[in-house]
Amino acid sequence: MSDVSKEKKLIRAPDDLVSKLNEAANRQGKTFYSYLTEILEQAVRAYEMKRSLKEIIDHFEILEVHEKAGAISIPREVLDRIINKAYHEDGGVLQQIWSQTGRWYGTYLNSKFDDAVEALSRLLKEGRWDLNEVTVKRNKEQVELRCVSTLLSEERSILLEKFVEGAMHSMGYKAEEGECFRGIIRLRFSRRA
Amino acid sequence: MKNTYLKRKMLAARSDLADRISEIAVRRGTLYDYVNDILEQAIRADSMGLNLSEVLDDMWVLKAARGAGLTFVSEKLLYDLVEKAYRRLGKKELQDLWYETGQWYGRYYSDLDKFEETTKKLLTEISDLKISKDDKDRLSLTCLSSKFTEAYTELFSKFLEGVLDALGYVKDGGEVAKGMINLRFRKLKGL
Repeated sequence: MSDVSKEKKLIRAPDDLVSKLNEAANRQGKTFYSYLTEILEQAVRAYEMKRSLKEIIDHFEILEVHEKAGAISIPREVLDRIINKAYHEDGGVLQQIWSQTGRWYGTYLNSKFDDAVEALSRLLKEGRWDLNEVTVKRNKEQVELRCVSTLLSEERSILLEKFVEGAMHSMGYKAEEGECFRGIIRLRFSRRA
Repeated sequence: MKNTYLKRKMLAARSDLADRISEIAVRRGTLYDYVNDILEQAIRADSMGLNLSEVLDDMWVLKAARGAGLTFVSEKLLYDLVEKAYRRLGKKELQDLWYETGQWYGRYYSDLDKFEETTKKLLTEISDLKISKDDKDRLSLTCLSSKFTEAYTELFSKFLEGVLDALGYVKDGGEVAKGMINLRFRKLKGL
């Protein structure tokens, strides 16, 4: 009886990638063949999840930003209730703290990604901010950012606006214009001289 | 000029996998480009210190987080908010909020093992969470986090009580101190 899992077929790949894979396999103490098998298995698995390996790794890369920033998961309802209570008396302080947190994220994104604005947009889209839509339009030195959410409270919308302003500030942009309503944030930035 | 066409190698791959990859590649473009993309991502994952298999295993966690309505917030910011709210609103209101939220999660997961497994994966600030059955009606819960403040530990213990309440258990003693929750529960009669 033939054992399909032991039969082999040849596939072509760029030489430079093969060398890098070989190094990685050695580092991980695996044979090249078993390492390649593992990679191909995961590529098929990703396809069956209706994702590509790139999408999955991109997603992990973005969520890692939260991890580096020391962000933690919390039920949305709890966060909204505490913010709502604290905001009445400490709104200004909270805005300042959110802005400072944004600056940290902006600095980190700037150092880790080639295109920090694009990374911020991905972070907002995929980083569990409860946003339904994030759009970024760029025109030379200007960036227009729009976030829409059906879940964000008014207070959390304002705080997210401050966070984004803080992040963009660290990336070298200043806010020119902005609007913020419950669940809708629209900001226009221009590059600082 | 660099000619990448001259720099290709043939790799021996498991036959069934090579066939499957070829099938998928047909829908995406050429086999060569698809293999190229896969290998590039594998190298990228390696350079990020990620294990591809583990990354794909953890995809369910991300789905679970979305489903459970979890959002991210800076840890320091959250603990700060909690301390402020604790002073201003008093313990009772916040403890009730955490307890009720816990009840929601208990009903959402409706299974102790699933709750334990998901919580360990999602709440990375927790160093350890262990729920063990002492006998058929009693269980012990230990939750440790070096990051929790005193107020947050108290609230999180209420959250856990809420979860266990929804799963049919009532608190039967224990202790809560900064970063450490040790609770005992017994099954409610009739459940």
